Amino acid sequence: MHIPDGFIPLYQDVIYWIIAIIFISLALKWARNELNDEKLPLIAVLAAGIFAIQAMNIPIPFGTSGHMVGAALAAIVLGSPYAGVFVLTLVLIVQGVIFADGGITTMGANIINMGVVGGFVGYYGYTALMKVTDNTYASGFIAAWAACFIAALLCAVEMAVAGTFPLVAGLISMGLYHAIIGLLEGGITAVAIYLIATARPDLMEHSAGVSA
Amino acid sequence: MEQNQFVIAAIILALVIAVLAPFLASGNPDGLESAFFSMYGAKTVTGADLDEGQAGLAEEQVVETTGNTFEFEAPMPDYSIPGMDKAGEVTAIVAGTVLVLGLVWGAGRLIARPEQ
Repeated sequence: MHIPDGFIPLYQDVIYWIIAIIFISLALKWARNELNDEKLPLIAVLAAGIFAIQAMNIPIPFGTSGHMVGAALAAIVLGSPYAGVFVLTLVLIVQGVIFADGGITTMGANIINMGVVGGFVGYYGYTALMKVTDNTYASGFIAAWAACFIAALLCAVEMAVAGTFPLVAGLISMGLYHAIIGLLEGGITAVAIYLIATARPDLMEHSAGVSA
Repeated sequence: MEQNQFVIAAIILALVIAVLAPFLASGNPDGLESAFFSMYGAKTVTGADLDEGQAGLAEEQVVETTGNTFEFEAPMPDYSIPGMDKAGEVTAIVAGTVLVLGLVWGAGRLIARPEQ
């Protein structure tokens, strides 16, 4: 759901950029306080893996494809929504500037949708679901699905404000596609949590500790 | 697993995904593009067929609607190297993966002051 440059009028892009910069500065503050020698390599390899897997578009029905976003995964594993904002901001800069995936003027909106919504829905969804289910994988799957789905609905609203899509038709088609793409997001998130929890149970204990 | 082992294993996994991605990735429009094309008559919401000509017109039409004519020449557009085939795509995605790894690690190293 990377919005290209032409899809949003410039004055609206400025507003999205301002909102994005507020969250980026909060994410930098988080990084300053939290990225110790243990978490720094983890967030770096997570970001690299998220970039690589984002490049792999998986076909879904309706002549469409989708890919992982990964902010929910980063937020869940590192125990803060700002981890998702931090990772996705840097990933989206590289994607936009080097690979023309997502616009430059629309990057603020993309950071809000994928980084901020992905990170916050992913993290708070996960912690809430952990209280109810006490199941890491189910909680991760559902939270990551919801992060993808809600980000897509917000994107549809932005498209409606931009005059690019009619609101209801946009919500229906974006919602339909991303309800399915979210299953990929949830599945890959659950598998990645499993791999990390198996290799480094100590890392997951810190972030899963929020359920205690 | 030790920290170094874990980091190396994760980097190798990321690079394996990066190398495989161009061979496995679908060329279908993504969710936003597909929604966009269906709004502008280049496909139906649930249909599989894309009208390439109409898709091109849609891209011109949306720029007229929003007035955002900003254009930017990215060095490796759509994860490819102009003039190169699959090898260029592999190179592009591997380069991007290494760049993101270095950028996040470097930015984190510069910013982080966890002791204070």
